[in-house]
Amino acid sequence: MRRLGSNDDLLILRGRLTDGGAERPRIVICAGTACQASNASDIIRVAKKHIIAENLHDRIGLRVTGCHGFCEMGPFVLTEPQNAFYAQVGTADVPRIIDAVLRGEYVDDRLYRDPVTGQVYRSRDDIPFFKHQRRTVLAANQKIDPIRILDYVSCGGYEALGDALSRGEPDRVVGEIKRSGLRGRGGAGFPTGVKWELLARQPGAAGKFLVCNADEGDPGAYMDRSILEGNPHSIIEGMIIGAYGTGATAGVVYVRAEYPLAIKHLTIALRQARDLGLLGRDVLGSGFDFDIQIVRGAGAFVCGEETALIRSIEGRMGEPRQRPPFPIERGIHGRPTAINNVETWANVPLVLRMGADEFARVGTPGNSGTKIFSLVGKIKNTGLVEVPMGVTIGNVVFDIGGGPSGKAKIKAVQTGGPSGGCIPLGGFDLKIDYDTLAKAGSIMGSGGMIVMDENTCMVDVAKYYMGFLKDESCGKCFSCRKGTQRMYEILDGITRGEGKLEDLDLLEDLALVVKDASMCGLGQTASNPVLSTLKYFRHEFEAHILKKSCPALVCRELTGAPCQTTCPAGTEAWRYVAHIRRGEFAEAYQAIREANPFPSVCARVCHHPCESKCRAGTSGGQPVAIRALKRFVTDQSDPLSYRPQRRPLRDGGKTVAIIGSGPAGLTAAHCLSLDGYRSTVFEAEARPGGMLFGAIPSYRLPHAVIEREIESILDENITLKCDTALGRDVTLDGLIADGFDAVFLALGAHKSRRLDLPGEDAKGVHPSISFLKAFNMRQENLAKGHVGIVGGGNSAIDAARTAVRQPGVKSATIFYRRSRDEMPAFAAEIEAALQEGVCLEVMTTPVEIATQGGRLTGITCVRNGFGDLDASGRRRPVPIPGTEYKVQLDTLIVAISEGSDVDCVSVAGASRIETVHDERVKADPDTLCTNRPGVFAGGDVVTGPNTVIDAVAAGKKAAVMIGRYLRGEDLMQPIVPRLPRVYIEPVLSDEKEAADISRTELPRISLDSRKRSFAEVELVLSEADAIREASRCLRCDLEFTESAHAASEEPAGREKLA
Amino acid sequence: MDLKINGLHVEVEEGTTILEAARFLGFPIPTLCHMEGLTPYGACRLCLVEIGEGPRARLVSSCTYPAEQGLVVRTASSRVLRARRMMIELLLASCPQSKVIQDLASEHGVNQQRFEQEHEDCILCGLCVRMCKEQMVAGAIGFRGRGEHRTLGTPFDIKSEECRLCGGCMYVCPACQLRCTYTEPDKAVCGGCQNLRPPCVEKEQFDDMMCFMSPCVACEIDKA
Repeated sequence: MRRLGSNDDLLILRGRLTDGGAERPRIVICAGTACQASNASDIIRVAKKHIIAENLHDRIGLRVTGCHGFCEMGPFVLTEPQNAFYAQVGTADVPRIIDAVLRGEYVDDRLYRDPVTGQVYRSRDDIPFFKHQRRTVLAANQKIDPIRILDYVSCGGYEALGDALSRGEPDRVVGEIKRSGLRGRGGAGFPTGVKWELLARQPGAAGKFLVCNADEGDPGAYMDRSILEGNPHSIIEGMIIGAYGTGATAGVVYVRAEYPLAIKHLTIALRQARDLGLLGRDVLGSGFDFDIQIVRGAGAFVCGEETALIRSIEGRMGEPRQRPPFPIERGIHGRPTAINNVETWANVPLVLRMGADEFARVGTPGNSGTKIFSLVGKIKNTGLVEVPMGVTIGNVVFDIGGGPSGKAKIKAVQTGGPSGGCIPLGGFDLKIDYDTLAKAGSIMGSGGMIVMDENTCMVDVAKYYMGFLKDESCGKCFSCRKGTQRMYEILDGITRGEGKLEDLDLLEDLALVVKDASMCGLGQTASNPVLSTLKYFRHEFEAHILKKSCPALVCRELTGAPCQTTCPAGTEAWRYVAHIRRGEFAEAYQAIREANPFPSVCARVCHHPCESKCRAGTSGGQPVAIRALKRFVTDQSDPLSYRPQRRPLRDGGKTVAIIGSGPAGLTAAHCLSLDGYRSTVFEAEARPGGMLFGAIPSYRLPHAVIEREIESILDENITLKCDTALGRDVTLDGLIADGFDAVFLALGAHKSRRLDLPGEDAKGVHPSISFLKAFNMRQENLAKGHVGIVGGGNSAIDAARTAVRQPGVKSATIFYRRSRDEMPAFAAEIEAALQEGVCLEVMTTPVEIATQGGRLTGITCVRNGFGDLDASGRRRPVPIPGTEYKVQLDTLIVAISEGSDVDCVSVAGASRIETVHDERVKADPDTLCTNRPGVFAGGDVVTGPNTVIDAVAAGKKAAVMIGRYLRGEDLMQPIVPRLPRVYIEPVLSDEKEAADISRTELPRISLDSRKRSFAEVELVLSEADAIREASRCLRCDLEFTESAHAASEEPAGREKLA
Repeated sequence: MDLKINGLHVEVEEGTTILEAARFLGFPIPTLCHMEGLTPYGACRLCLVEIGEGPRARLVSSCTYPAEQGLVVRTASSRVLRARRMMIELLLASCPQSKVIQDLASEHGVNQQRFEQEHEDCILCGLCVRMCKEQMVAGAIGFRGRGEHRTLGTPFDIKSEECRLCGGCMYVCPACQLRCTYTEPDKAVCGGCQNLRPPCVEKEQFDDMMCFMSPCVACEIDKA
């Protein structure tokens, strides 16, 4: 290559390169590190082979480039000039894409398809991930093969350098950078122009240094890597311009040895730049000398700190020293040194090329330009994103990132790597700039952005970062070395359930001192992960310490087996699944029944939180169908055959009054009976069961099942009094006067909330509970003609599915104000309802009820759009004016939520029991105590409408608390995490075989027979299916039981050997 | 060069550190890793002082910070004392048997330590390394590793050719118990147990063992 002797030579070269006439079509393949990891090399090989084999050299071009940023979709192929984006292509797709490009067509089935909406995009720029970005630095990556300097030159590369050199005013360069407001992209945000100005003023007789800091060590961050790998010349040009402006004589790129591709591309780029006369002696014939060398760092995180970096370049141990003197005065070998981050250098040529004013127009005042973030974690679109400074975190996470990767809600984003902090969902409207993030307790840092969802434990996150920092602190200054180690110890103790509340104060004290007392930036920011999580997620720390539970089910010692921990009643799901696998169905039933007196009921209607956190599901596959397995076991067994262990009556048989015979009341009565206490259960209706009969339709839960289960629970210690309502037939004071030693209020929630619209009392409008009760208890069909149901919960679905089964119903439509994904009802129920012909209108709210002569004629609804995030992390539904529409209805069922009935509340009021909002009884969540001694409350009457298993759990808890109360013990006793204790020998199976089994879905009766009948919809698994499904269990319990089992087995084993 | 320390003006030559200037005025600043004749290192963080005013005020190690014209220094502000006490508590948690550290704790009213008790014999202050290199011109020992794995020793942990067994390293060590028991063991007093909270109440039964033991027998038993 001929050396360029002047700027004119460079201009001529560029002219020659760009004046190639009509561009032939081209395919661009990303070969960034992430895409290479997803097999981009194979794609490139196949593409080359196809082009050679078909002799297409002259008709199509191939460009292999660095990272484009959309790493989630790698390996991908971009076509020019179509700009079509083919995501996650396989080797077989490549020839099809090449042929389509040649014909000017598209391969529609391989184009990027939005995973949520399913929309296919023909132009890359329309894809939301790209559309919401503003790519100035990263944009060049797709146009440049990093090992071809001519690619860079033809895209305007070295134009800024040539221009600066030919104008010959170094001060202008510095002034321009200063005016642009460019701030250091390494994290601290020091104005680059000011730094250069300081360097330019230093005496330079002994030489001055420029350093490019490419020691990118934050976990999850790879922006600098992608620039180095994809566009090394932009950094080289930036440094030469910087050297020209500041009078620096030598440059160093300090890059981690862990970035081999970056080093390779940079080495090639430096050589090519030297060959072309752009680097080294007499740059572009201007008489200005500057050369750059590469120094490889050995992977110490602290070497990203400038004073440690300088020592490392000098060949000494990477340890920071106190500033002043600042490197700008005394840097490498005592000479003035300016250090800038990779991204800062890459911005320099852009500033000069577009002009300082144009550059400053992007972003916000004081924070100009764009910033690249590596968006990783629990996010749909992982990758590199470049946005103008000043956009909000929410924009990046939701608009570009596409929201959470799974079903769990996003709860925080961690910015700035280990030195940064976590920002909770509530702070997602914060603008991304240096000052705002610092104020929120985080930092901009080099641009790592790790998204966390509800399955992330914030204590564990703090512990992770502290573990990283305690290993990566250089160890020189005592506060940082010991401080990080001690913070880690405290955090580790908390995650193991050994934390005390005082630890949090100590942790905070220590964190503040470490921040204050440490020498370098690493120590001064090391506390941020702790301080920010403590600030925003203190409740999670407290849950670990006080409740001995990890809400995200991450911390091993507090979680045990997730299925057991998530079950409100503590059912050892792993245990019965393990027994099923072994064919031991009686033992399996025993395991279920011990924990839950309503196993057959729960096998049908439980919302199975156990499945939501099953590790087989959270680790990327499908959760074990635990409820289906429970149904299989309970169908095998007769509830009446179960004979529990019963204690003899205690204290001459103290007696408890239980109000309500729903699952909470009966469970409490049962557990008290086993514990040696008598009870009398009062039921207002004619038969026991409460909401099990009243609210749950029989196609989900046949009445015979409930009856049989209740029959098995009732025993000689339990007296049942039906048709006896509290307030009407008995009173609280009366019960206590009658000699009951304690009272448990478990009345349930039988009152539907009102819409509060005029006309709600018209004929044809029914609250959902009375609608369901009328049918379930009295076989009355209240629904007629066109039926509308307002609400999105289970009660709404039950009402809708009941309505479509009633005679005289022409249609049933559910109106819900948010999106379908946000409906609180169980997904399977919604699906079943739709199959049965129920219509679903989402994002709509009724605003008016039309009546005629006291009878309902229809409603007026308004459509909703998405608004801001609300407290629950969902986007608030906001009515769109002018979208009102009318719907003709004959029946309207209001199912927007339930409170407890007024009777109960008035009674509670009369008996001086405190209530919440006049619709729920106020009880201590830990002890279930009300304000009146001896009176306990639990279930829906305390929580509002809730699930069966939660009611069972409340009943169990009430029995424990009432027992303690009757014995005069402390109600609050130390909490012990529920860890698996029983060892069940696993059945060994072929791993390959096991991996091939997919989740078994419950069989259902045919759709035709469902529509008009109330026969049970779900069928039961076959024995073979059940055993096969059980074999999918990962047996989380073994982690806890196996070592103890092995230890107890050992002596026996030795004997055998002997 | 004129600076203000705790409200007093003092004029010092260029190159003087804040620590030297403050000691010149008679303000006590504790140090562990500092020794006249050795290069300042700034590792122990005990000599922290607060410089600057308002929101820009910050803590720096006075042994390494050069005096600047017009600098405002506070050597015993509440911020300084809070950090210093925490440093001493951390030191106590690591090296409770060091007489030097115990004395520091007692001077600063640190009478408890809330961390898990360790029994290290090195606080990595680096005095010995600098002594060996700068005064003994040997350079036989140095640091290796980082973070909590940082240790001190000879290359490859074998006897160094450079080492002349001068003992300078031991002489300057503030942490190892040789300091405590040094030449006259009967004069040394170990108060390790009293610095723990709750203090060891059964120390009578260990009266004879209290002192020169490492780790302190009483504390160990108490913990078990």
